[in-house]
Amino acid sequence: MILSPAERSYLYDSLIQKPTIRPDSRAEHQMRPLEAKTSFLPGSNGSARIRLMDGSECIVSVKAKVVVAAKEANLIECDVDVVGFRDNSNFVSNLKFNLTNLLQQNFPSDYLRLTSKYSFKLFIDCIVISHSSYPLTLISLTSYLALKTTKLPLLVSETNDEEIAELPTFSDDWDNAKPIADYFKGKGKEFQPPIFITLGYVGSNLIFDPSVEEEQVLENGLIVTFYNNKVITPIANMNLAVNSNNSNFKGLNQTAIIKSIQMGNKFGGAIIRALDALIEQDDDNDAIF
Amino acid sequence: MIGQRKRLSSGLTVTSKVFVRSRNGGALKVVREHYLRNDIPCYSKACTKCQHILKADAQGNLPNFILSESPAKTKSGKRHYIVLDTNIILHAIDLLENNECFFDVIIPQTVLDEVKNRSYPIYQRVRGLVKSEDKRFVVFHNEYNEETYVNREKNESINDRNDRAIRKLVTWYDNHLNNENAAQKINIVFICNDADNRRKAISEKIDARSLTEYIEDLKNADDLRDLIPNETTNFATGENETSFPEYYNDSRIMAGVKNGTLYQGILNISPYNFLQGTVQTPAFKKPLLIIGTKHLNRAFNSDSVIVELLPKDKWKEPSSTIVEENAIGANDNAGDEDDDDISGSSGVISDKERVLLAQEAVKATSVAADDESRLQPTAKVVGISRRSWRYYVGQIAPTSVSAEDSGNASKNCFVILMDKVLPKIRIRTRKAKELLGQRIVVVVDSWSSNSRYPNGHYVRSLGEIESAEAETEALLLEHDVEYRPFSKNVLDCLPEEGANWTVPDIAGTSDPQLAKRKDLRDKLVCSIDPPNCVDIDDALHAKPLPNGNYEVGVHIADVTHFVKAGTALDQEGAARGTSVYLVDKRIDMLPMLLGTNLCSLKPYVDRFAFSVIWELDEDANIVNVNYMKSIIKSREAFSYERAQLRIDDPSQQDDLTKSMRILLKLSKKLKQKRLDAGALNLASPEVKVHMDSETSDPNEVEIKKLLETNSLVEEFMLFANISVARKIYDAYPQTAMLRRHAAPPSTNFENLNKMLSARKPGMAVSLESSRALADSLDRCVDANDPYFNTLLRIMSTRCMMAAEYFPSGSYGYPEFRHYGLAVDIYTHFTSPIRRYCDVVAHRQLAGAIGYENLDLSHRDKNKMDMIVRNINKRHRNAQFAGRASIEYYVGQVMRNNESEHEGYVIQCFNNGIVVLVPKFGVEGLIKLEMLGDVNSAEYNEDTYELTFVDLNKKKRTVAVFDKVKVDVKSVKDEVSGKRKAQLILK
Repeated sequence: MILSPAERSYLYDSLIQKPTIRPDSRAEHQMRPLEAKTSFLPGSNGSARIRLMDGSECIVSVKAKVVVAAKEANLIECDVDVVGFRDNSNFVSNLKFNLTNLLQQNFPSDYLRLTSKYSFKLFIDCIVISHSSYPLTLISLTSYLALKTTKLPLLVSETNDEEIAELPTFSDDWDNAKPIADYFKGKGKEFQPPIFITLGYVGSNLIFDPSVEEEQVLENGLIVTFYNNKVITPIANMNLAVNSNNSNFKGLNQTAIIKSIQMGNKFGGAIIRALDALIEQDDDNDAIF
Repeated sequence: MIGQRKRLSSGLTVTSKVFVRSRNGGALKVVREHYLRNDIPCYSKACTKCQHILKADAQGNLPNFILSESPAKTKSGKRHYIVLDTNIILHAIDLLENNECFFDVIIPQTVLDEVKNRSYPIYQRVRGLVKSEDKRFVVFHNEYNEETYVNREKNESINDRNDRAIRKLVTWYDNHLNNENAAQKINIVFICNDADNRRKAISEKIDARSLTEYIEDLKNADDLRDLIPNETTNFATGENETSFPEYYNDSRIMAGVKNGTLYQGILNISPYNFLQGTVQTPAFKKPLLIIGTKHLNRAFNSDSVIVELLPKDKWKEPSSTIVEENAIGANDNAGDEDDDDISGSSGVISDKERVLLAQEAVKATSVAADDESRLQPTAKVVGISRRSWRYYVGQIAPTSVSAEDSGNASKNCFVILMDKVLPKIRIRTRKAKELLGQRIVVVVDSWSSNSRYPNGHYVRSLGEIESAEAETEALLLEHDVEYRPFSKNVLDCLPEEGANWTVPDIAGTSDPQLAKRKDLRDKLVCSIDPPNCVDIDDALHAKPLPNGNYEVGVHIADVTHFVKAGTALDQEGAARGTSVYLVDKRIDMLPMLLGTNLCSLKPYVDRFAFSVIWELDEDANIVNVNYMKSIIKSREAFSYERAQLRIDDPSQQDDLTKSMRILLKLSKKLKQKRLDAGALNLASPEVKVHMDSETSDPNEVEIKKLLETNSLVEEFMLFANISVARKIYDAYPQTAMLRRHAAPPSTNFENLNKMLSARKPGMAVSLESSRALADSLDRCVDANDPYFNTLLRIMSTRCMMAAEYFPSGSYGYPEFRHYGLAVDIYTHFTSPIRRYCDVVAHRQLAGAIGYENLDLSHRDKNKMDMIVRNINKRHRNAQFAGRASIEYYVGQVMRNNESEHEGYVIQCFNNGIVVLVPKFGVEGLIKLEMLGDVNSAEYNEDTYELTFVDLNKKKRTVAVFDKVKVDVKSVKDEVSGKRKAQLILK
């Protein structure tokens, strides 16, 4: 319990106002301010870190490995580590499942193909160093940044090894490595990894990216997937206040789902644009420590 | 991406290098931190600045300034230092080692690293040059120097970056030395054979020259010109004489080897047919055949090659034709069978089809292959993973030098190598005529796909063909035997007292190791060796015990007391691996002082020994065995003959003789036990050359005689080896130094058995076990021909596998077996003066009995693997060198006595036969032309019979195993300059 009954009541009452009044004076579709840094882990193919004002911090590293495609069930593997939680706890397993499921279903892994036999496999490692609100959005946004900045070594051997096997060989110059996005451009497409947006449902209002205090009084929580400029499945509802019993929690009105899709479609693009702008603004100064 | 990051403290800069390591198909991003320093000196004595930045190394030593303050001048009078590029070191290492040129040389670290990656042996030679300091070579660590380090730029290849780093170093040296520093101007000459790099260097105002340009600017250019290695472009031949298929690229080779469509193995060219080679691969039971120059595709004998199977319709029987590379001037393209379609056949064969093909090949090579299909899978070389190129000895082909040509311009000519399975090498020289008739050393530089012959260059001359020195040195070079005198740092490891060293007093010593030695000076020890033996490894003693058993001791020279692991002496011994015995010369593994004096168990003096002492019962069963470091005093050094005489002389009743009789008695029992267990008694035609004691000319050949005392010593040495093998295997199950002899694969005997069944009905060699083999050999007796059995044993020996050293972790216990000796475990322990294996075994035994700690290098599996690989190779080379030496001297003996001898046909081809003459232990090929009418000949493959009309117009048939009369004489082959036994059938 991080709020007293009086605080809860005050917060709840203000959130159900039309328009909603959020304690940090955000609009309903506004995310919390964040600070991001990309490509700072020298040993990784791609990396990103996001920090929020409340001290929440997540680091994601993407590594690529050459595999025989036929022998791999998936070309993407995620691992999530949350400080303070056991790796096999429900909390961590859920996060990991959500992220893995999202990327495996919505990541065009064809683009990782090297030759008819070989492919890259991506290993996405997420560490949540500290968090207050439910960290799935944080993780997914950081993964977005990390994947967008992931570079893959340049293949210099033949791509056609159907008839005569060749082991892939790569340019030894890391500067020749190409971002994943370049492989998409070749096919005239935009590379945009999927993200999760967390929405809080309270009264008849939907609020983006609820803070930990807001989570305490929500009537329900929604996880919405945004990919290729529109909301897609899975859309899930859950109690975001995982560590306390939320006495306000109740069933979900189906109109809330429709509304969440509408809001996702309306504002999701802005989130993506903001993230892309972050990458562009990121200077090449490596030092973060 | 290399970014300057931060300064840790003043003077130390860290950058990081990021690159992709693409190995085995992977793509790993690697990040390395890289520290730069500002205290690396230029090593020039002319420099006045660098003395101030010096820092001592970890041992407190200051770096040594080597480059001369007044270096040599070029013809144009410029004092200069030289900076070398990688390509110069790789191709002209011989020139760098030459004492007439190349002084004050700076080798950039970048270059040294590249050399190390490209060729480790050359790298070691460069290190040797730097270490010796005679020629004032220094390595400048430009990659770690703040001022010479360069970042890789975007889209810059690593080679371009390295070239730039080298140029930067040249510029740096120039500025460093000549700006208010050295008293006189010192030019920095950058030698590089890459035209593009040179052009860039010149535009940066660097004095860059090609090797030729530089040599031409030296005063002694005339002497050196011929030593410049050939670049392919140097050869005027230019036009494509031929075109070999290009090798596959690495990624294709790696994938092919991995998925089983390409195979890797060592190419073995047939000694009778230089156009036919075999490659033994683990995938097939029989070796793959490679026929014709196109398919051999520029591979040399004993290169490690990558091969690809040919389609089934190209599979062939092994050729039964003798083809030797003809003299130049004759048809250049002699005997090349099918040059036809190699590339243009049927387009691409997919991997799937290749896998099917491989299955067919497995079937065809499996033992059960019935007679109708004598076809063997053939293959072609598609890549070379490691070249076996080394120094080659040969002579210039007289036909390739035109007599009327008197100009001083350099001309192409061919060098015929002594090793006749190798192709001739094209060199370019001005001195061709002077070099005619001399043994010369050449090196191969390259063999491009459009050149019919490999290109090389002349290194030096050994002397007149057939002079003993030239021939001896030639055969040492040919067998890669290190024969240079021991270097100073090796000799520094010897005891200071030199020859005056004596065994220290064991009583009241404070040395704990010496205190562990046992004093065995009271034992009646003696040694039995060949006459005039100076390096006495082993000595023996025996005495009856009160309980009726016998105490028997084998005492081995304690070499490891003097040769401590890890010293320069040890490394030299490990590199040489074995002593090499030639007819008139011995190349020692260890310096003379040790071998013939301090270690040698000479009579009448105290010596350190490593002793194995058994208690044996009447039937020579072991009751007890002890191992100890000891001090002994040999009572007498016998020759085999003298020992035999003394044992046989009933009037000799002293204790020493009695103990020798005990030894003899026990050794006979040991031998009988071994034979019962199935030990083989194989034969090789061993001969000994007698030298005239005054002129040391060889004048007589005899076949070695064996006395009982030979086998006395041999039995106890085997016995000691087996006991020691058990002990060290027990103590070091993973790294014990052992020796194994694998059972011969039945395919090796296939041909011999086919010959037997065709020519000697009812006889066969069986292979179920060594016992069965021994017994079946005993049964194969031809009543009409007593020598036939020995002949068969000689031929069987050639079908056997070679015994090999190995660390015990490499095989499972059942595979330790020594097939020939029929024991389960074996090692070499008894000759540490002349074999490195024994040195290792000594150290391991000393560790096993707690005498001293075993050095890490003998406890580490990988290090042991390296040691073993080297000594196996050295051992083989030493054997070949020894045989070649005998062969040469036998040739010299026969030169004076042409005579008629008995010989045996041991192989039949459709155009010749091979005959072995037991008297000389020589075998020779008799070609059909020498036998009679070529056109009348008929060869029956099933009965191994060659029928022809001989010179007397009579029809004649010879077959394998036939006893024939031959005229033996020695002739000099004008092409190869090699003296060979020429046999003429009577």
